[in-house]
Amino acid sequence: MLTISNITKSFSGLFEPVLNGITLSLQEGAFCTLIGANGSGKSTLLRIISGESLADSGTIRRRGAVSQVVQDVSRGTIPSMTMLENMALGGMQAPRFAFYRRHKNEILEKIRSLNMGLEKHIDQPLQVLSGGQRQAVATLMALHSGSKILLLDEHTSALDPNMQRLLMEVTAQSVRALGLTTLMITHNMEDAVRYGDRLVMLHKGQIVVDVQGREKSRLKVQSLLDRFHKFEDQNLLHGRSEHAC
Amino acid sequence: MPVDLFLNGLQQGLILAIIAYGIMIPFRFLDFADLTADGAYPLGGAVCALCLSSGVSPIAAIPCSMLCSGLMGVCTALIHLKFRVPFMLAGIILSTMAYSVNLRIMGKPNLALFDCGGLLDAHVAGNILVMVAFLAGCVIPFSVFLRTDFGLRFRAIGLNPRLLQQQGVNIGKYTVFGLFAAGALFGLAGSLMVQLQSYMDVGIGVGILIHGLASLMIGEAIVGNATLNRQLAAPLLGALVYQQVQGLALSMGLAPSDLKFFTGGMVLLVLALRKAEGGRLE
Repeated sequence: MLTISNITKSFSGLFEPVLNGITLSLQEGAFCTLIGANGSGKSTLLRIISGESLADSGTIRRRGAVSQVVQDVSRGTIPSMTMLENMALGGMQAPRFAFYRRHKNEILEKIRSLNMGLEKHIDQPLQVLSGGQRQAVATLMALHSGSKILLLDEHTSALDPNMQRLLMEVTAQSVRALGLTTLMITHNMEDAVRYGDRLVMLHKGQIVVDVQGREKSRLKVQSLLDRFHKFEDQNLLHGRSEHAC
Repeated sequence: MPVDLFLNGLQQGLILAIIAYGIMIPFRFLDFADLTADGAYPLGGAVCALCLSSGVSPIAAIPCSMLCSGLMGVCTALIHLKFRVPFMLAGIILSTMAYSVNLRIMGKPNLALFDCGGLLDAHVAGNILVMVAFLAGCVIPFSVFLRTDFGLRFRAIGLNPRLLQQQGVNIGKYTVFGLFAAGALFGLAGSLMVQLQSYMDVGIGVGILIHGLASLMIGEAIVGNATLNRQLAAPLLGALVYQQVQGLALSMGLAPSDLKFFTGGMVLLVLALRKAEGGRLE
């Protein structure tokens, strides 16, 4: 379970707060997609939830450890170590004085589930893989880390459209199967509509759209895009009028 | 090169390899420069000299040296972890303090141990066997450890500490363990050197860090460190090559007083070559 209450965050040099009174509660196993324009505060919110950054005010209550995948995958992986070593490290919950290679078959199975042909690189350092392939490995590591809360910050951004779809399917299936409470940032409106049982849109550090249940399942990409553009147009008009003044 | 010079270089090289392994642990696995070697190595020698002069068996003197030097490594780690003193400074402070401790242990700046006996004597082949046995006794279990769950975490600490912190790993415990292991290796090397020379001087540790570092870098320049096996082979290979090059230079007329200048020059050369190689790869 994840409960965020009245979170605010400002950065020096910016006139407006990046997050302005965000309140959001996710039940155990909930899958929420988070959308919004650049600078709307999505990544800042995830950093605060993960504990990487501190909020100016407000509280966060979470049950269970947090794992996250960010766009810069080198933060969540070790590029000079092999894929097997990274995966073994990511999934290590109760370390033993036993060879970590004993997990090889289990890890191979997880990698095969991606259908990206990555299994042949299992004993190669991650740095030989492309950025997108590394994102896929980092996502697998986070999914199987044993954490109960999963934060995904554009975790498919470096992949081509086919691979994006594959990784999203695996992510959605695993999240359901493992019962992870998930908050996923995406700029892909189709993914935002297709995946998850709740959708939240941030605009200027505030929640402006929050749909779930039937309303979410009836949501169409076009209507979501219309709402997105409406807020952004307002923003542009507001910016222009301020500039004119 | 005369055979006796080669064999002498081999003996010295095996001891230097133990030091290079000790230097490799913090430098490569924990990602910080630990300067404790300059103090922990003579501490091991001093403890061994005290044991031998007190009638303790040469075999029992070795674990005593390893324990004392290992504890010195633990002190370096604790000074850093508890008082937030940078590792480099903590190592320098403790090495300076160890000089006085060593003088206290020995009671005088040097001790002759010719009548005390020791594991190592005039039989070079036997000495080499003993040293190889000790080296294998340290490196093989360490290599096995690095392939376990705990070892994997240990290797990852220097590469991405943030990732391990997120997983709830206590990095401090691994750091203390790493510096204990490194210190114990310095103690073993100091003890073997004293038993080889049958003599202990309080100044034997001066510049030992740079010798060990040069060995590690030469080894890595030869075999690289892309895989765990290569990383583990580098200190041994580097130390053997380094000692033989040094022996060769001496046999060609290099004055012993110029040896430290020669060592520094070799380290700089290896660094420059690695930089140039990196530039080409980029």
